[in-house]
Amino acid sequence: MALNELNFKYKVENPQSIAKEYSHLGVVGSGDLEVLMEKKDFGGGTEVKVVTPVTGFDKVWEMVVTKFVKGNNLGDLLIEINDNNATPVVVSMRLRQALAEANKKEKGGE
Amino acid sequence: MEREVRVWDNLKRDTEERMKKVAHLVEEGKVVKAENTVALLEGVIKPGDKVNLEGNNQKQADFLAECLCEVDPKKVYDLHMVQSVVSLKSHLDVFEKGIAKKLDFSFSGPQAGRLADFVRDGKLELGAIHTYLELFGRYYADLVPKVALVVAFEADKEGNLYTGFNTEDTPIIVEATKFKQGIVIAQVNKIVDKVPRVDIPADWVDFVIQSPKNFYIEPLFTRDPGLITDTQVLMGMMALKGVYAEYGVQSMNHGIGFFTAAIELMLPTYAEELGLKGKICSYFALNPHPTMIPAIESGWVKNIHCFGGELGMEEYVAARSDVFFIGPDGTLRSNRAYSQAAGLYAMDMFIGGTLQIDKYGNSSTATANRVAGFGGAPNMGSDAKGRRHSSDAWLKCGLEYGMQDQLLGKMPRGKKLVVQMQETFKEKMDPAFVDELDAWKLAKNANLDIPPVMVYSDDVTHYITEEGIAYFHKCVDMKEKMAAIRAIAGYTEIGLQAKEEETMDLRKRGIVKTPEDLGIDITRANRSMLAAKNIKELVEWSGGLYNPPARFRNW
Amino acid sequence: MLSWDELQKAKFTETNARERAFGLVDKGTFTEFVSPRDRMPSPHLPVLGEAIGYDDGVVTGIGLIGKRPVFVVSQEGRFIGGAVGEVHGAKMVQAIKLALKAYEDVKEKYPDSYEERLPAVVISFETGGVRLHESNAGLLAHAEVMDQIQDARGKIPIIAVIGSKVGCFGGMGFVGAATDVVIMSEQGRLGLTGPEVIEQEMGKDEFDASNKALVFRTTGGKHKYIMQDANFLVKDTVGGFYQQLQEVMKLPFAEIEKFRRIGSKELVEEQLELVKLAVELGAKDSMDVWKYYGNEDPAKLVDMGPEEFLKVAKRRERKLG
Repeated sequence: MALNELNFKYKVENPQSIAKEYSHLGVVGSGDLEVLMEKKDFGGGTEVKVVTPVTGFDKVWEMVVTKFVKGNNLGDLLIEINDNNATPVVVSMRLRQALAEANKKEKGGE
Repeated sequence: MEREVRVWDNLKRDTEERMKKVAHLVEEGKVVKAENTVALLEGVIKPGDKVNLEGNNQKQADFLAECLCEVDPKKVYDLHMVQSVVSLKSHLDVFEKGIAKKLDFSFSGPQAGRLADFVRDGKLELGAIHTYLELFGRYYADLVPKVALVVAFEADKEGNLYTGFNTEDTPIIVEATKFKQGIVIAQVNKIVDKVPRVDIPADWVDFVIQSPKNFYIEPLFTRDPGLITDTQVLMGMMALKGVYAEYGVQSMNHGIGFFTAAIELMLPTYAEELGLKGKICSYFALNPHPTMIPAIESGWVKNIHCFGGELGMEEYVAARSDVFFIGPDGTLRSNRAYSQAAGLYAMDMFIGGTLQIDKYGNSSTATANRVAGFGGAPNMGSDAKGRRHSSDAWLKCGLEYGMQDQLLGKMPRGKKLVVQMQETFKEKMDPAFVDELDAWKLAKNANLDIPPVMVYSDDVTHYITEEGIAYFHKCVDMKEKMAAIRAIAGYTEIGLQAKEEETMDLRKRGIVKTPEDLGIDITRANRSMLAAKNIKELVEWSGGLYNPPARFRNW
Repeated sequence: MLSWDELQKAKFTETNARERAFGLVDKGTFTEFVSPRDRMPSPHLPVLGEAIGYDDGVVTGIGLIGKRPVFVVSQEGRFIGGAVGEVHGAKMVQAIKLALKAYEDVKEKYPDSYEERLPAVVISFETGGVRLHESNAGLLAHAEVMDQIQDARGKIPIIAVIGSKVGCFGGMGFVGAATDVVIMSEQGRLGLTGPEVIEQEMGKDEFDASNKALVFRTTGGKHKYIMQDANFLVKDTVGGFYQQLQEVMKLPFAEIEKFRRIGSKELVEEQLELVKLAVELGAKDSMDVWKYYGNEDPAKLVDMGPEEFLKVAKRRERKLG
């Protein structure tokens, strides 16, 4: 019954963190998720934590997240995802939108 | 030599005999009272008759259907029902009660599960599942109805019918029945002195009955823009850029569903931004989708011919006679048969959603325990081999056809665009790409000859998922097709079998295009792209002419 | 996330709780309390295997409208229907508590001019009430919020904003009704028992929950406006609500308090007269009541845009206020 927690760690060449100190995007609605990104001194590494009610798709989660982190050369970054049954496409879209939000020049909401 | 004397009008004599039996039930003209309907049916229908019960996915001859359930099964039995749609409870109750025995049909919505049970339990002998045009065709060959139970808005006492906005299947049924000496009975909402226009002439109709309640009609093609997801917006953007713009598609049919609703709502926004106005989407074979209103109002559409009506769109459609087919009385006339013919021969593209796609690229909405049929989709979603006129989109697609040389040698020929859209995973992580379609299980469960496939692999030209577009028709053989399927199947089991080099090669050759390849900014894929975000805004776009059914009104 | 300027034009029904919170106060003034970065999810949901959110479905914070500090509570209907659990409720309660603390501070610091700096609480409701997964905590939270609202009486205004998809139902329907001012859009809905539950209890003939038009006619903003259950009706945009809040904030507190619909013996008596009227009138549809209050062609009001509606709709006349 308990929630499924997944943790992934990455280290890529020439990593890039995000512009903002932290950024948040999304709503944990049905089939959707929230993404929290936070700048962290991880020695260039990225850590990802996923909390989801879904089990049996850990491998898919890993592939989606890996593609995102490696594809965007991310580093010194903590990514946390709270999911409620989102499909891989929604996860990928929200991650991309979250990254765009995290790299926006102005402060969120102003 | 003496010539053998043969009788050549048996059918007519049989009908006359039946008509005599019920003559006493007729009031003025051709009017029969509602309470005498069961007696009428018992009088004119004989055991073993082929009976057509009008009903499609929109309007229903529901009163006549209920009356047919009330006839005495000792007098009327073993009927062979030939009808477009099985969607009311009464449509199957006639089998439960032993009144009907055999069924030939095209589409079944809510009754699909019960229908499968009936077939399995031997309560119903299934002839075949057809497409609409196929079934209509058989009404004129081996499935001619002896009695047709049809439905209209109004009739006069002489029997002229006004089917108006929801003319739909009535003409093709009545013509097949009446001209083969059959009997036509119509239920109408109202008997009037003069009908607004004659859709079916009086001498093709034998009896008219004013039903106690207005006939049932289903708003099947209304999609609330409020329910369109960001993913559907993304895939709509991909379709517009990768297919509509790429081929300059001017004529098409849109399937029912949220993918095409999203596309319709992005014509005045995203497609406008791409500079496509006038270059795409001028002609449609399409029900009056409420989600078309913003595009129509923005001047995108030249012409729409409708299979049927859509509840709430009556006034709007009537006020746009430049776009829709409007009678001299000022209301729409829909016609399923003609629209299907247009969809098959005059449209360059069919685009719509599906449920499952197998590794070969066959696509089906069939599930294991429901005998649902596909209605018109297989006609819309197929390349009419008899097409001879050319258009830019049709020709371009044909020139790209990877198997053309093998089939025709050096001979230019076009190909209809048949585009299927589906997310790689449905709700609850149910994969859309499968090794084997559920249609196979259904075939086994319901004892069908063949698995019901909606669109066969050789007809599909484009598959669109959120991962990319497979320009399926460009593939030269099945091996390449299967690789293209894998390349857009994402993280499903099928997709995980994709090989990176193979996918890269397909992308290089333009057989697969990802959103990046198409130059689409995924972060823009959200609901703000939609010209209307809820039903209320559709009403506003229509200048108050669209009058949505109560269940869609959240105000 | 949309910018503040974009938000003003955005549909209230299309925005999320955080965007609404940002957009309901002056540009650039909003600061969130216990934001997602503070990671404050429900402690009860993980045990049940239910998805969690770092804000537990409610955004709270402070901003300004003019000189007045505004404490915002904004519920998120997409997270478990906006239902109130322990953390969610505690955040609501604390926001009001902080507003009361600010009231004391402002009064002390500006003894002569505190009225123009008077804090306010704005609650954007989007909820069905108690979160069944944590029912006791959720119920308690309702009581505590109610308690805080009573503590705020006569001190600072509590303003309800109701315009999101889920509406304001269940126990929170009581809370919404107990505020000083109710601002709704026609898409907003306010009630106690949800339509499905009424249908289940009373039968489809009494109330057909699938008839959305009926549901909205009965619980929606237009009806509540005619009945004076809602004080103001605004367009379905964040800006529509923001501008109405600005207008209300310009009024002296004594004027704002007159908007209350319950909370005194006289007001309760006025409400009870309505109950009597409902029985006498034997209304089958809210439109019967609209007609009773002088709207000759009530069906016409249903589809009317908000601007025109505000011009022509006749409302119940209030005895007080």
